[in-house]
Amino acid sequence: MKKQNMIEAREGLFEIALTVNGVKRVVCVKNGEFLLDAVRRLGLKGTKKGCDTGDCGSCAVMLNGLPVLACLVPAVAAHEGEITTIEGLGTVRSPHPIQEAFVEAGAVQCGFCIPGMILASKHLLDRTPNPAEAEIRKALDGNLCRCTGYVKQVEAVKIAAKRLRAEG
Amino acid sequence: MTHIKYYAFPQTVKEALALLLNKRYKAMAVAGGTLVAKTLPDSVETYLDLKNLPIKGIKLSGGDLVIGAGASFDVIDRSKLCRSWAGGVISLAAAGCSSQLIRNRATIGGNIARPHSFNIFPVVLLGLDAKVRLVSRAGAKVADFSGLYSPDFGLKTGLDCIITEIIIPAKTKNWKCEFIKLAKTESSWESYITLFFAAEKRGRSLTQVRVAVGAMSPKPFRVLAAEKALESVASGPEAAVIFARELEAARAGRYRSEAASSLLKRFVSEKIK
Repeated sequence: MKKQNMIEAREGLFEIALTVNGVKRVVCVKNGEFLLDAVRRLGLKGTKKGCDTGDCGSCAVMLNGLPVLACLVPAVAAHEGEITTIEGLGTVRSPHPIQEAFVEAGAVQCGFCIPGMILASKHLLDRTPNPAEAEIRKALDGNLCRCTGYVKQVEAVKIAAKRLRAEG
Repeated sequence: MTHIKYYAFPQTVKEALALLLNKRYKAMAVAGGTLVAKTLPDSVETYLDLKNLPIKGIKLSGGDLVIGAGASFDVIDRSKLCRSWAGGVISLAAAGCSSQLIRNRATIGGNIARPHSFNIFPVVLLGLDAKVRLVSRAGAKVADFSGLYSPDFGLKTGLDCIITEIIIPAKTKNWKCEFIKLAKTESSWESYITLFFAAEKRGRSLTQVRVAVGAMSPKPFRVLAAEKALESVASGPEAAVIFARELEAARAGRYRSEAASSLLKRFVSEKIK
């Protein structure tokens, strides 16, 4: 086994390299720690800890361009990966068009599920600029919302899709 | 997984196998990890991540459909080749697994490596007479998928061998098939019933009949008595009675047995014309 393809724990910690929201970082993660906790420890609390069992989707982050459940990815398995959290998508002053659409459509109630939902929507719109409603519902099927019936979120994704298409 | 001492991410199958077989490392191979990352046995000291292995492609080879074990559910769902095969049943099964966030990461190899009764692909692969290519200390070999969970198989996937490819035989390309998953919700991990049916109508009789069942017993199995009944009498209702009887005998429970038998009847009357 080549040395560069293996990391050894030292005193219960793994040192991993990550690119988080475009910034390269070296992060020490605990043995047995999952990406969700590692990301939140970096101060990125937009990634929510919901069920912690892969059922609710509120912990979704983009790992190498794909939305995944951070509660099911061992932190060490993200080594050399590129992570985008909701904080990497837009800011309060300069929100991403999908974030704007969610607010405009009234899709946000308590807001707990929204970061995961927006990242899942981003991935959908990146590869399907004009999705059908069934495609939107399929893309969001892992993001549970206990406040709403998903109608407004689906509407928000349609608005965002239209806006992003217009922006080219 | 607090006992992990090494995290390894080999670039080649050869490298991965060498590490897996090296007793010093006490390694376990993990693909997507969605099902096992949280439940690694304490005896495992090396997390052998297969994510970088070049075993993700989907291709045709000698007429067979070959799916790399590292292909994710999402890739299989969107694959034109898989969608064109056996009425798209492989893609439909992939799309029916859990949620998109899981499908982005979970792989077909990981799904079949351990025989959780509710896993999606074992029942489909059993019905499609699939084979698996795997590598072990003895080298590479192709084995019938149906033997993978047998105690006689002699190898434990992920511990002393690595599955690299799933081979779906050419003869199944145009089969009429149906995959059914009944669960609490569409995105539930665990299903109450998974079924795979296939049949071809030739004149008044049926051929190539496959009736495979998952989630209703610890391991998926084919219900040969029901297959034989359909091939010999070509009557959905009669075969459905035999099917229900076989499932009850396998302790599937009365509700699930009756539901599954109704679904077989529906398959014969609606899909096979």
